[in-house]
Amino acid sequence: MRSRFSVEIKKQLPGFALDVSWTAGDGVAVLFGPSGAGKTLTLQCLAGLIAPDAGRVVVDDRVLFDAAAGINLPPQQRRVGYVFQGYALFPHLTVAGNVGFGLRDRSRHDRERRVTEVLERLDLGGLAHRRPSELSGGQRQRVALGRALAIDPALLLLDEPLSALDSPLRRALRDELRAILSGWGTAAVVVTHDFTEAYRLADRIIVYENGHVIQAAARAELLWQPASEAVARVMGLRNVLHGTVVKSTPDRIQIAWRGHTLEAVNSPTRSYLPAPDSPIAFFIRPEYVRLVRKDRRALDATHHMNQMRGTVVGDSDFGTVWSLCLRLDTPGAPAQGDFDLEVEVPHLVYEILDIERDRHWEFSIHRGSIHVLPT
Amino acid sequence: MSVEAVSALGLSIRVAIAATLLNALIGIPLAYVLARRTFRGRALVDLVVTLPLVLPPTVTGYYLIVLLGRRGWLGAPVYAFTGWSVAFTWYAAVIAATVMALPLLVRTARAAIESVDRELEKAAFTLGRSEWRTALEVTLPLARNGIIAGLVLAFARALGEFGATLMLAGNIPGKTTTVPLAIYTAVQTGEMGEAVVLVLALTTLSCLVLILAGRLGARAT
Repeated sequence: MRSRFSVEIKKQLPGFALDVSWTAGDGVAVLFGPSGAGKTLTLQCLAGLIAPDAGRVVVDDRVLFDAAAGINLPPQQRRVGYVFQGYALFPHLTVAGNVGFGLRDRSRHDRERRVTEVLERLDLGGLAHRRPSELSGGQRQRVALGRALAIDPALLLLDEPLSALDSPLRRALRDELRAILSGWGTAAVVVTHDFTEAYRLADRIIVYENGHVIQAAARAELLWQPASEAVARVMGLRNVLHGTVVKSTPDRIQIAWRGHTLEAVNSPTRSYLPAPDSPIAFFIRPEYVRLVRKDRRALDATHHMNQMRGTVVGDSDFGTVWSLCLRLDTPGAPAQGDFDLEVEVPHLVYEILDIERDRHWEFSIHRGSIHVLPT
Repeated sequence: MSVEAVSALGLSIRVAIAATLLNALIGIPLAYVLARRTFRGRALVDLVVTLPLVLPPTVTGYYLIVLLGRRGWLGAPVYAFTGWSVAFTWYAAVIAATVMALPLLVRTARAAIESVDRELEKAAFTLGRSEWRTALEVTLPLARNGIIAGLVLAFARALGEFGATLMLAGNIPGKTTTVPLAIYTAVQTGEMGEAVVLVLALTTLSCLVLILAGRLGARAT
């Protein structure tokens, strides 16, 4: 990854401290984390709207902020495009007036040409003379994007760009936004607290929690190898569980949990070898737990590893899938309140297996689906 | 209408227009600064500007005499150098009306400016605008309705100013006697006909101003 910008920011506010450091390359970096984690504050520091107490911000070899050297470029000189959460379109100006707002230094002719070009590219051609109040949510978003992109920004910042939209539109615009961002090729930083959104938009995801970065990784790496239990919780992963290490090798980790010995895949690349008897956190994706069909008794050990038995103690219908709460047969307190594992099955499977009446099941988890969370 | 009544009406309109212009010149920047900047003494400035709203006009007038009168802090040096004093001239009426009307404009305009979304200003900053240009192109245009409302209130207040004007400008017929003072004088001397004419004239004028303001407000939205 070629590093295009590096960010190092310390900022003390009443009751909140931001202390982050991360880098990103070409493409889209997503700042992901719960509300109040410092994501928007970071954007404002990048844009120069708030001055950090300490740190350094460099974009394409241009120093925007360096506390040690006393450099703090004002927002007017940063060439950083900012798409605000509520879009912040100027209500008293037309679409063309908004998009052309950052082009005051250019000649009238240049400005008009650039505005036309931006509007065409964003499919806003016919709306040049409308006011923001006359636009739909999606059109407003594109105008806000166009206004920020018109100035040819070195860096584009988007604060929760989809949160102002309702959900069917949100999904469509998420993909549209992704296409626009990759089409313009501008390095961008997007803030969101929605993991699906983060994953769809990002090349690289930087996970924020309580003013700190808890993981910065390519999106696929984050999805399959969250660095810690904290990251797993921020991602909203289900079935985050605690066990004890039995044995660890670079390829496998055996974990004692609820009276079973589970076998999980270890990743040789991260050389994580916890000592036997030490506590360990791991998670199991609910959709990767396999119920064993009762009409096919012969179990293939290569297919069905980590076998357990349990009872469905609760189920909820989510439309296309059912979420089942399973309680293991083994004695002892359940791992998650009154159940041990959350399991997700497609609606069709729920009907075929008649889970509504048949509550006791044998199930298995492939070792590749048990993900160890290093501490 | 008597010659005096016509002269009082003319003077009142002139004073109110001049005071409103002065208000716009001083009050709009003041409202902006109070709404958007933090600085030492902001609370004090706010207090001093607002005081004429709550003090009896005669008290405000008394302070104006202390400041601008022939023996006042500012008035005495001016008188010593030029032999001229602002007291008991029509300028004094303008000053008294300006000071009395200022809090109405500043408070209304300030509230309007404060209600402008700050993100719009931040957006303008990131698009290269200085704070000054942002105020002119974004904040003040968006606060326009409130500012117009404040100017209308200021004009109406200036038109009706009595106490502070009497203190600083006196009641010199044809020179500083505005309509409210003329009405008072007419009633005091038992010229009820004259009083009624002036009362009706001032009422009509005030109604016209309010209707005009309503039109402006409606067009702005």
